[in-house]
Amino acid sequence: MSEPPARAAQWLRTNDGSRLHPAVEPLARDALQHRTDRRSVLRVLSWLGVSIASARGVLGMPAAGAAAGPAPRRGGTLRFVCSVQQMTDPAATTWIEASNLFRNSVEFLTYVDSDNVTHPYLAESWHPSEDLETWDFKLRAGVRWSNGDPFTVEDVVFNIRRWIAPGSKSPNRTTFAAITAIEPLDELRFRLHLARPVCSLPEHLYAATCPILHRKFEEQGANWPRNPVGTGPFQLTDYHVGRLAVFKRRPGYWGQPAYLDEIRYLDLGTEIATHVAALAAGQVDLLYRLTISELDLVERFPEMQLLTEPSAQTLVMRMQQDKKPFDDIRVRKAVVLSADREQMLRFAYRNYGVLGEHHHVAPFHPDYFRLPPVKRDVESARRLLAQAGYPDGIDLTLALGNTQGRYEQDTGQILQQNCAEAGIRLSLQVVPAAQYWTIWDKVPFGMTYWGHRPLGVMVLELAYRSGSVWNESHFSNAKFDAALDHALGILDPHERSAAMGDAERILQEEAVMVQAYFPKKFTVAGAHVRDFRADPQDYYRMDKVWLA
Amino acid sequence: MSRRWFLRKAFGMLLTMLAVSFLVFTILELNVDDVAVKVLGQFSTADQRQAWLQENGYTAPFLLRYLRWLGAFVTGHWGTSTYYREDVLTLIAPRLAASGLLAGAALLVIVPVGLLMGVIAGVREGSVVDRLVSVFAIVTTSIPEFASAVFLTALFVFWLGWLPGVSTMADGFHLRELVLPVGVLTLYSAGYIARITRSSMAEVMQSPYIRTARLKGNPLRRVIMRHALPNALITPVTVIMLQIPWLLSGVIVVEVFFAYQGFGTLLYQAALNTDIYLIEACTMVSVVVVVLTQVASDLMYAWLNPRMSFGSSGRAAGSG
Repeated sequence: MSEPPARAAQWLRTNDGSRLHPAVEPLARDALQHRTDRRSVLRVLSWLGVSIASARGVLGMPAAGAAAGPAPRRGGTLRFVCSVQQMTDPAATTWIEASNLFRNSVEFLTYVDSDNVTHPYLAESWHPSEDLETWDFKLRAGVRWSNGDPFTVEDVVFNIRRWIAPGSKSPNRTTFAAITAIEPLDELRFRLHLARPVCSLPEHLYAATCPILHRKFEEQGANWPRNPVGTGPFQLTDYHVGRLAVFKRRPGYWGQPAYLDEIRYLDLGTEIATHVAALAAGQVDLLYRLTISELDLVERFPEMQLLTEPSAQTLVMRMQQDKKPFDDIRVRKAVVLSADREQMLRFAYRNYGVLGEHHHVAPFHPDYFRLPPVKRDVESARRLLAQAGYPDGIDLTLALGNTQGRYEQDTGQILQQNCAEAGIRLSLQVVPAAQYWTIWDKVPFGMTYWGHRPLGVMVLELAYRSGSVWNESHFSNAKFDAALDHALGILDPHERSAAMGDAERILQEEAVMVQAYFPKKFTVAGAHVRDFRADPQDYYRMDKVWLA
Repeated sequence: MSRRWFLRKAFGMLLTMLAVSFLVFTILELNVDDVAVKVLGQFSTADQRQAWLQENGYTAPFLLRYLRWLGAFVTGHWGTSTYYREDVLTLIAPRLAASGLLAGAALLVIVPVGLLMGVIAGVREGSVVDRLVSVFAIVTTSIPEFASAVFLTALFVFWLGWLPGVSTMADGFHLRELVLPVGVLTLYSAGYIARITRSSMAEVMQSPYIRTARLKGNPLRRVIMRHALPNALITPVTVIMLQIPWLLSGVIVVEVFFAYQGFGTLLYQAALNTDIYLIEACTMVSVVVVVLTQVASDLMYAWLNPRMSFGSSGRAAGSG
């Protein structure tokens, strides 16, 4: 960019042509003067309703995937190995796999790409008020549901009210707790009123539980697979939990039609080596997930595309603060101080990942704040245990379910050995993967897998805010909640990161969890599968995927 | 073989079903709250789970719920699977048929291979062939199914690329998809049958009537087929009949490994997901399969050995 930064920023445009939010130009200037990371700024500009094309132009960032390749070919059936789970109510779904199925048929207000940039989707544009407490959205015109009904603001109002209702069983109730009212303005426009500023609101609207369902969803039985009405490019035509789901391209879709004729999701169980065998034999085209155990096997087959992506997914070995003996912070600290993070990453995940710092925010989260390094200190752990009344050590049990693979148990075994050095006799309670999810929030000490969230603040909001539905550690701290509130309202990535430092520090000081590392994500596809990118969140849109 | 014998068998089966169903219900009672977690998801709240349990009759007294289930089951209403969201009866039928197909295909290979190896080894006791068969049988029966499944997959799928890696039959029936599961079951089971047949055959071959038949100048082939085999088969047939319930509902490891949509995977999923009605129904079907194969085994026993009769104890017994 040869133009001076002050002048270049004036080329920025919003998606609806309205005036720019006052924070936009200073943010762009900072990025152009290399004071802030451009990717972080692009992400924030997308929240503020700035056109991504204009932002990329001004910031000198070419569009992702802009490199010329062969023209996509239309047609074909893609066979995707993925759990076929119940998805009765998409707003209350608890599995990303299920969301990837209905993602073909029901759509979201916004779309967040794998670079974490938020794009218009069913919402054509949005703009926030200066204080970020009022957000105006405009919906895309001409969108029709698969049953022929026009898509209007009435559909959106139905969904958002349903998410935030006091009896809502959707995690959206926590995510959108700041929304106090939704006000329809006309057929295609609505306004959200917030109790506190939330700058990343458009990004939150692409969470797995935020698809926009038809306004008569509840009237018609509140069972989506039985009445699979959607605005999306595919239509559900066959569905058997635990076995098979088939989506076919829908004629009359409002956007660019999908390339594939059909997607067949095949549930082949939990044995991933079997999935790889099916791919090697040409029985399937794409696997949802690969674990570290099958990596060597896949690398021997040059005809398989190994897709990998850094991810903020992680294992959290959290302790419930209201249960004995974890109600004593000295016991929690002793466990955390005993843990050897480097050893866990090296031996349980062969160093494919980055170290965690016991606060669940990843170094590559844009709002991450670097705290002083975490050091292992077995002697202090012993001393703390003795002070807590356990001079001869203590017996603890860690529950885990290998929900993502055997590496969970390997990690637990390393913690077991680490703890032994400090006099903590840790036993592992290993339950079948499916069983773990019945106890994940009940056991005093448990190892839970958490999926990737694009922002650190998102995961802290879901998992550690007082009274949050998914708060499995029963952590409740007013200072922490206030730090989160503060961070949520700051647009400048630098300032937000500093505010997040407070939240991270509190989690570390309170020894809420052992959180050792963020493992990389792996998946694998046949060589003929094109334009399928690994997504850190495992959110897969299939309308651009094609078969060579 | 009397009508009374059949009635006794049927009564025994019903009594077993009743006892087993009550036992299973009692065991599942320990985790009844899990049902709501499985249905509503791990992130549902305690209030929502309680409301669901109430709506679906899970909060009624235990005995009442059991009797309600029993009444419905007897009248053909087997309930709805909480995991698959389908009617249990319609769910079980195709799965049982699929396992029947796998079991039938496996038996078609296991029985001739096992018997042939056993007969050859038994006739030539102490020979090199006998030693080879014995070693093969010991090795294959010592390797668990999950290990031989991994081994055969590595060989025929990853290395040679000859066979499909999973047996979902998602696009209809494919014989090739049966090869590996049948191969694993054969490796595990044929050696066992060979060993039983071998010892039975070796014992019969030492009997005086076989020696007499040989001394009369009958060719060996005729002696084996007409005199030795019918008697030597009695024990192996019992063993083969015992394989049937195992093949129909016990080959969970093989079905799960090859993603075969049979009765075993259904039972496995039902157990993992605390799907009470499905577990109950699968258990009842398993009891029926076990009892029916016992009956068939007794009938076969009597056919092979006409000296057998069905005594008043309800068991096949030798009449001397």
